[in-house]
Amino acid sequence: MDTFQYLLLGLGNSLSGTNLLFAFAGCMLGTMIGLLPGLGPSAGTAILIPLTFSLDPTGAIIMLCAIYYGAMYGGTITSVLINVPGEAASVITCIDGYAMARQGRAGSALAIAAIGSFVGGTIATVALVVVALPLATLALKFGPAEFFGLMVAGLCLVIGLAGRNMMAALLMTVLGLLIAMIGLDPVRGAPRFTFGIPELYDGIGFIPVVMGLFGIGELLLAAERRQANMINADLKNWNPTKQEWVLSSKAIGRGTVVGFVLGLIPGVGAIVPTFMAYVIEKRLSKNPERFGNGAIEGVASAETANNAYANAAMVPLLALGIPSSPTVAVLMGAFIINGLTPGPFLFQEKPELVWTIIASFFVGNVILLILNLPLVGLWAKLLKIPFSYMCTGVLIFCIIGAYSLKQNMFDVWLMLGFGVLGYVLRKLEFPLAPAILALILGPMMERSLRTTLEISAGSFGIFLERPLALALLTIPVIVLGFMLIKPRAFARVRQTDAE
Amino acid sequence: MPSGARQGWLIATGLMLALCLFFLWQSWLLPLTDKLGPGPGFFPFWLSLVGAIFSLLLLIGVLRRSMAEYEAADSQLPDGYGIRRIAAILASLAVATLLMDVLGFQLTMLGFNAILVVLLGERRWPVIAVFAVAGSFGVYYIFTRWLDVLLPPGVLDF
Repeated sequence: MDTFQYLLLGLGNSLSGTNLLFAFAGCMLGTMIGLLPGLGPSAGTAILIPLTFSLDPTGAIIMLCAIYYGAMYGGTITSVLINVPGEAASVITCIDGYAMARQGRAGSALAIAAIGSFVGGTIATVALVVVALPLATLALKFGPAEFFGLMVAGLCLVIGLAGRNMMAALLMTVLGLLIAMIGLDPVRGAPRFTFGIPELYDGIGFIPVVMGLFGIGELLLAAERRQANMINADLKNWNPTKQEWVLSSKAIGRGTVVGFVLGLIPGVGAIVPTFMAYVIEKRLSKNPERFGNGAIEGVASAETANNAYANAAMVPLLALGIPSSPTVAVLMGAFIINGLTPGPFLFQEKPELVWTIIASFFVGNVILLILNLPLVGLWAKLLKIPFSYMCTGVLIFCIIGAYSLKQNMFDVWLMLGFGVLGYVLRKLEFPLAPAILALILGPMMERSLRTTLEISAGSFGIFLERPLALALLTIPVIVLGFMLIKPRAFARVRQTDAE
Repeated sequence: MPSGARQGWLIATGLMLALCLFFLWQSWLLPLTDKLGPGPGFFPFWLSLVGAIFSLLLLIGVLRRSMAEYEAADSQLPDGYGIRRIAAILASLAVATLLMDVLGFQLTMLGFNAILVVLLGERRWPVIAVFAVAGSFGVYYIFTRWLDVLLPPGVLDF
């Protein structure tokens, strides 16, 4: 079967009653969780994983992917109406979205955001369909040395773009990898760092760590702040004017390209494409002074790039098994919980499942558009829920999520501990994304490295004999070397970005 | 008197250094190589060594940086209101985790929901009651009956 036939097959499956229901439920829940200020898609997706435990793997992944997209859009609503980004990528939307809301144009801002997200997401999914299979076929030729190189390169790109302090990002990566080493050795089965505690023999679960670092950590940060006031916007009239359509259409086109291209690169993060798309629009505008004062192109470009990025970020995950952001790492964790290892072999072994999931992205985008345009007033009402109920509700899901995977309270304690750690590390501005990616990639990295060294009888020379592995291992050397040599140049770029 | 953020960085990097050194010692106790190649201690040994070097470099960096660089971060420290709310959340969560195996999900969460919303400022008692029951017995019913998720039944398991 060729790509088109696979896609048709997947589309048929994703439009079946149950899968459609899972996509719909995922979009609804995702939007709801994205609305909770401070709780981003990573935490949202992790918190809602327990809802999928009883589903078949296809339904579970469809629902979690829909939660991811829904959470991305939910963050837009808070950005526009209360000037609080639901997730980092929505920071840019706050600039012009909130200004538009203050001018009584919140409906237009949210409508253009929904339409831009739909267009960006759909076109990026088409590109994903075209790119994923050839890339996965190429990756099938990879041996353990190449996979090790790929994982190291992916991790180092995340580190290189993680934040101001690269040394802290490197350290967080090492700590993530060390946590992943706890439990039984993946090659020989020997216990490591278990100290006789039976719960540690299975290793430290990904779910309690993510729920703690992102879920509890973000809730504690939100608890510090006083609840923001929502603008009393007229959301019944959401149809943009003709002029707004004209202004937004080109921004949507450019945002799609920027979001998709940058989404393919592991570690870029959602904020870079949204920011870059915004800057491009500002530079190309005949009236750049409108930006920051309610320019609809600002909202359109950022939101389109955000969703195009989210869909493109699935390419490295599905084709290579490399998560490019913390949220995609959570999705990868969900794949693993469901007994699936994302990567080229999944295309070979379970093509029906992979293509159903890819096709569900189209379906999810349509559902989100339908949900968000007419129901935007309803979503806005959810923003009025007091923090006390919102926080307690999220904690109920966290407790269930941490407990239910292994049915032990040890994981709930772990989640609590990682929650405190996540809060402290965020306050100190340590980057958490590298630790999460390292935690999920750690066992696979170790297995690849050790298998490679077993093949070569312990000689590292094997990496020199395999050109692709060598090329992949050169990427981190170049990225990290450049960052170490020119940290001030990077700091200046970031300073300019921030301004 | 060192600034709060600087102190935080010193403590955090110091603890990370200690953790890496602990992992280094523990992995040294494992076989680094065996007849097939690298052993169980190989990867964690090199990782913790690299981690120890990074945390040491970071610690030196913190000690050498000027106080002024931490002033902006200091302004983001929680005030009394924030500290009280954070303490309420953590304490409620810890007590609920302690009681869950004994009392079970339903009773523990009934108390947890009611107490936490009150600690976070809610005073509408009928709403609190409905929320507490829905968030405990209601959630338990949905997860165990509809979603096949096992939760601790505790004393109500009869």
